[in-house]
Amino acid sequence: MTKINRKISIRNLCQILARPALLLPVLLLTACSVATINISGTYPAPLVRKLPLTVGVYYDPAFTTHSYIEINDNTGDDQYIINSGPSQVALFDTMLPAVFEEVIHLEDMDSAGNYSNLDAVFVPAIEEFQVGLPQKTRLNVYEIWVKYNMRLAHANGDYIADWVMTAYGKSPEESFQSVDDGVNDAANVALRDLAASFSLSFSNIPEVKDWLRSENVLDD
Amino acid sequence: MNPLNPNTVFSRLLPLLAVAVCLSSCTITEIDEFRQSATSIGEDESIVILGRRQSNNYETEESFVGCVANVVSSGQNAINVVDEREFLDAMFPFFEPRTAPMRTGHLEQLMAVDVAAEKMEEFGIEYIVWLDGITQRTDQSGSISCAVGPAGGGCFGFGTWQDDSTFEAEIWDLDTLTSVGSISTEANGQSYMPAVVVPIPLIARVEASACSGLGNQLKQFINGT
Repeated sequence: MTKINRKISIRNLCQILARPALLLPVLLLTACSVATINISGTYPAPLVRKLPLTVGVYYDPAFTTHSYIEINDNTGDDQYIINSGPSQVALFDTMLPAVFEEVIHLEDMDSAGNYSNLDAVFVPAIEEFQVGLPQKTRLNVYEIWVKYNMRLAHANGDYIADWVMTAYGKSPEESFQSVDDGVNDAANVALRDLAASFSLSFSNIPEVKDWLRSENVLDD
Repeated sequence: MNPLNPNTVFSRLLPLLAVAVCLSSCTITEIDEFRQSATSIGEDESIVILGRRQSNNYETEESFVGCVANVVSSGQNAINVVDEREFLDAMFPFFEPRTAPMRTGHLEQLMAVDVAAEKMEEFGIEYIVWLDGITQRTDQSGSISCAVGPAGGGCFGFGTWQDDSTFEAEIWDLDTLTSVGSISTEANGQSYMPAVVVPIPLIARVEASACSGLGNQLKQFINGT
């Protein structure tokens, strides 16, 4: 009886010792690996009166595949890769048709000449992308800040307007929440912030306003 | 030595149990109401409860807003409450952190925008309730040590902390485009966690208490009772 008990206890002991031994390589691998965060979300269409314009939109590859790398301050290695390109495109594809009567996707800038009905060509670009992680900022929030450059041109490429917009989003750090979820939530708040700001302020950008007046879209 | 009498053991444990129950439920909630105008709501009318998210340091939690909405929309004299997320998406971009009306003057400007006014009418909203506040942990002390060995594991120690909830609800009337009053609530409670082999959490449900108190008071306020 005693022998059996002893055998079992030794087997249990081996199992207990084996578990950390198995976990060790896993821990080492996760400590050295880069986490990739793919931003995903759905965005509502803005509730605004459409401008009676046909606008071509061109998404540069740098925009559609936008990726930000957060560096680990201690090791200098990549810590997080945040892919926001597809979400940026999804946001603009939802927002622009709500702001303009017709939106045409352009393969490249040169293809704008193929459309005789285009009033303008719109090109969004990301200039800066910053992330605030609670473990670095010591704040209880995940933060995302994005600086955009918006460019509006005639179909022949002539300049109409060029302006900067910023978007900010934060998400409170919650118990048992992963970094992925925190960053994703903050990014989605930032994207909504941009859409809100763009849809309400587009007609008030001075150069855009002048152009809209020249197109008889706005009253004096 | 006399064997222990079960009745004696129970009578000795009773004060300890009473203290444990008291400690786990020791939450003090204070509610203040300030009314500026009379209010009432019909069965086919609704309200929406929205969290303020403009502050840099904190934001009113969506879960707290949902909790208050549940209290208001259930039980006796229940009121129709439009879901916060559904409302924010439908009214996008007018109630985002950067664009939401901060004062009733801004609401007046917003209601002058026909698409916004039409959507509000579609929802049948009579009152907008703005919730602003946070639950903070203060006065944390004590320590618990846990150890695991081949023979088993266990914890030993004692931890305690205090939670403070402060929330304010401001009620806007969409007919008159004015603020009709506000309700503020403050709840605080001490939680304890003694650990003798197993940690025993005696948690003061501070936020739940603030939610319940604020929700019930809000329901009475809007019903005009």
